Amino acid sequence: MASFLLIRLLRWSVGLLLILFVTYAMMYYGAGDPIRMMFIQEEDFDTTDEAVMRALRAKYGLDQPFIAQFGNYLHKLAQGDWGRSIRLQVDRPVLEIVQFRLPISMQLGFAATAISAVVGIALGVLAALYHNRWLDRLIVTTVLFVTSIPVFVTVPMLLLLLVLILKLIPVPYGWNGLFHRDAILPVAVIAIGPLPGIVRQTRSAMLEVKSQQYITTARAKGVPESRIILRHMLRPVLTPVITTVGLIMIALINGSLFVELILNIPGFGLLTIEGIRKVDYPIIMAVAVVGTLIIFVSNFVVDIIYPILDPRVRIQ
Amino acid sequence: MSAARPGANVSRVIDDRSVFVGEQRNLWQDAVRRFSKNWLAVAGFFVIVIFLVLALIGPHIAPYDFLEQNIVKAYQGPSAERFLGTDDLGRDVFSRMLHGARTAALVAFFTTIISLVIGVLVGGWSGIQGGRADQFLMWISDLIQAMPGLLLVILINTTLRRPIVNWFDALYEQTRNPFYLNTLWLDYVLVFSALALIGWPGLARLIRGQVLSISEEDYVLAARALGASERHIMLRHVIPNALGPLVVAVTAGMGGAVLLEASLSFLGIGIQPPNASWGSMLEEGRRYWQIFPHLMLIPAVTIGIVQVAFVFLGDGLNDALDPRRIS
Repeated sequence: MASFLLIRLLRWSVGLLLILFVTYAMMYYGAGDPIRMMFIQEEDFDTTDEAVMRALRAKYGLDQPFIAQFGNYLHKLAQGDWGRSIRLQVDRPVLEIVQFRLPISMQLGFAATAISAVVGIALGVLAALYHNRWLDRLIVTTVLFVTSIPVFVTVPMLLLLLVLILKLIPVPYGWNGLFHRDAILPVAVIAIGPLPGIVRQTRSAMLEVKSQQYITTARAKGVPESRIILRHMLRPVLTPVITTVGLIMIALINGSLFVELILNIPGFGLLTIEGIRKVDYPIIMAVAVVGTLIIFVSNFVVDIIYPILDPRVRIQ
Repeated sequence: MSAARPGANVSRVIDDRSVFVGEQRNLWQDAVRRFSKNWLAVAGFFVIVIFLVLALIGPHIAPYDFLEQNIVKAYQGPSAERFLGTDDLGRDVFSRMLHGARTAALVAFFTTIISLVIGVLVGGWSGIQGGRADQFLMWISDLIQAMPGLLLVILINTTLRRPIVNWFDALYEQTRNPFYLNTLWLDYVLVFSALALIGWPGLARLIRGQVLSISEEDYVLAARALGASERHIMLRHVIPNALGPLVVAVTAGMGGAVLLEASLSFLGIGIQPPNASWGSMLEEGRRYWQIFPHLMLIPAVTIGIVQVAFVFLGDGLNDALDPRRIS
């Protein structure tokens, strides 16, 4: 087990380093000088004084060659210094920004995952119990239909329906905490994304379990049907589903990007887009670090939970 | 479902010399029959056909020039004269939607072609060659697939644009060829290459897997034992049998390309104005959605319909062409 974890850790550290290197290289050679961009793009700065630009570059260490810059970044990162934002929120420590933005997306993501898991498992179980009947087909088709519509189409359509036509809610805007009315729409929309994976997994696992002999045995013993479903069927079914739920985090990054952009929620997804639009090196690098770590941790957690739930895959 | 008759495999082997032609079961006729029973998939198929036809002939049947501005007639709702109304600059929305269809179809077509060529070359090479080359190529494709596709495309699109524009400027300075001054189509090339870059690993993996698994099949061994040439085995056995899953993957890839193109232009980093794209139209319409909802509704509904059509078409094709269901 220990060597398994160690290999995992080693492989992921190399992966993280590689991703950081490629990201920094793309920024440096592709996106260009953020200081010059700042002076060109933003009207508040009407000076194009070379001396000012040079001073600013020196301040953020942008006047050094690529390898030195990247090495510097890694060195500081190892000491817990994430650098300071160049343009997005001028001179604010990136760590502070991430600490403010990430929890918002996390709350949205976890709430959406919970809803998605509950709804998805329920629908999957239902579909499997009514295998090849109309309810099964209805569930599978509806889920496929709803999830094939992109998020940046769903949100505007729901806004039109709920705000303009039904006049149910005022325009949701910004972030007022998870338990505010404005959080309903984003959580609901993000929860749609992972639904088909969960439903499909649950359904096929249920179908497999349904024909197992111990189910027949339980039925022969006279165990009530509801108990069979909850105790005998659901437990082996949940194991593969947990894997899906764990890997959902990756899908959530995609979903929250558009939801946060459209509804103006200052979360991690919006930070990503803003950072890239403004070529804010430290922000983009922070996004790369945190994003990779999220994928790493969720993979890791799945690897650890899986053997606990399913004794057959326990590692020797 | 057509159940396998006893001896079907044997007849297939002998079939190589076309002895038992009567026993032959055609996979494609089977697939068409199965596909046409799935009315949702058929509906999706027709929506995609309409989309492609409009993309092809759309700009010729457009009632107005899609760039023609008329501030006096801005923000009109749908009417007899203006089929889908006009936008904030008084441009005809219907004509712009038709051009957007062309943009989406172009991106879908070229992205798929490029990723397919790379995928076939890499996947085929990996599958046939094996060894170090195989390991290296699959490692690269794994790496690309592990990253969130949208973020990768965004990163490529934002970082690749400037060096290429600079390069073209330099080329113009050297050659004075006005060809290098036009950067309008450069957006397209950038989007094609960025999307193809994340599109090929999936196809390469699929093709490699198909090549590997089909070469292990008994009928390939039998054909080889009967003295068939490698060329014959490739053309007659491997390619026809790999085609089914490939058709499904390519359909899904086209839908994905249309979606990613719309996402990119929605974020303002894909196809740039004045070129028309559904994604950027949706983004522009979003600014006035409470006053002029039709500007947001029209592109949103269109993107939604096309995406749903692609998904149901892919789902139907998957069911129809799944070899496990046929045997």
